[in-house]
Amino acid sequence: MTITLEELAFRLNDHVTEEGTSFDALLLDNGVLEVICSNNDEFPIHLAITETQLLAVTPLFSVSEVMPNEVENLNKMLLQLAPAVPLSAFGLQGDTYILFGAMALATSFETVVHELEVQAENTIDVLEAIQSLLA
Amino acid sequence: MSILKDIFTAIRGGASEVGETIVDANAIRILEQEIRDAETAIAKAKQSLTRLKSSEIKLKREINSLDADYADYEAKAIEALNIGKEALAEEVAGRLEEISTERDDKAAEHSSLESEVNGINKLIRSREKIIQKNKRELEKVKTIKEVQKATTSISDNVAATSSSQHRVSKALDRVKAKQQNWRDNMEAGEWMDTQEQGDDLDARLKQSGVGASDGSKKSSILEQLKAKQKAS
Repeated sequence: MTITLEELAFRLNDHVTEEGTSFDALLLDNGVLEVICSNNDEFPIHLAITETQLLAVTPLFSVSEVMPNEVENLNKMLLQLAPAVPLSAFGLQGDTYILFGAMALATSFETVVHELEVQAENTIDVLEAIQSLLA
Repeated sequence: MSILKDIFTAIRGGASEVGETIVDANAIRILEQEIRDAETAIAKAKQSLTRLKSSEIKLKREINSLDADYADYEAKAIEALNIGKEALAEEVAGRLEEISTERDDKAAEHSSLESEVNGINKLIRSREKIIQKNKRELEKVKTIKEVQKATTSISDNVAATSSSQHRVSKALDRVKAKQQNWRDNMEAGEWMDTQEQGDDLDARLKQSGVGASDGSKKSSILEQLKAKQKAS
């Protein structure tokens, strides 16, 4: 069975995890599914799908939000922190820093939910860690 | 040809648009064409395989039948020798030679057929590999396009607040405050639970007569006093 974003939105809106996290999922016009996890409602996760994968992207901040002269430091820091969060990776799209993860389309709903919960949590951890380099 | 290298070159060259547009459209068409070509080649190869396989089965059956004939005539030749009919046995030996030659021819044909089948299987595998590799390359293009879409759509949503200073820090503070609040509520809830359960437990214990009541304590002290009195 493979996941569709519509079905995922439907099930997420009706789900609460064991840790008490609930979800607010909204399908945007461009086909991207915006998911707000109750454990981190400030940084939504955006889901998109390809032929084989479910992609989860959390935009973090833009280059202009980094303290002047600290961009190089930040990039190095992110590379060093990356192995600590092996299931979420850092990336740069245009001038937006993102946290992202990918799952196979055959992933079970329970696993997807767990990954979203972890990504929302990781987002807070990562931002806290590098907060001093942000303007 | 590697899509990643294409993407690298495009970004290095200052391409701001990520996704399908920065990957040479021609490169994508070539990958897709190669997949179609490989699929056609595989379909043809599978047809030849079916044909070759039926020839192979037929040959194998013929060889088996010749082997059976050989064994049969060999036994007869020995029988002829046993009853002293040497001339007849010689004639049978001639027949055995013919069968043996025919069998060798068929066996040679069979082994060349076998190597042809192996060759076709190898070709199918190599085409299969092209298909898988190209599909992975195309998946990279699709992935980067979708990630771009997911990034920009959210950027638009937060754009309204992103102009403010310390946006991330403020958002972090809010999230952390909410989490603390949630934890406090949890703790309060747990405290209430233990209180209620505690009261309930005490009540049930009392009801079952478990635990020292004033009366029983008094009486046990009295017993001890009596025991001491006896001893003295």
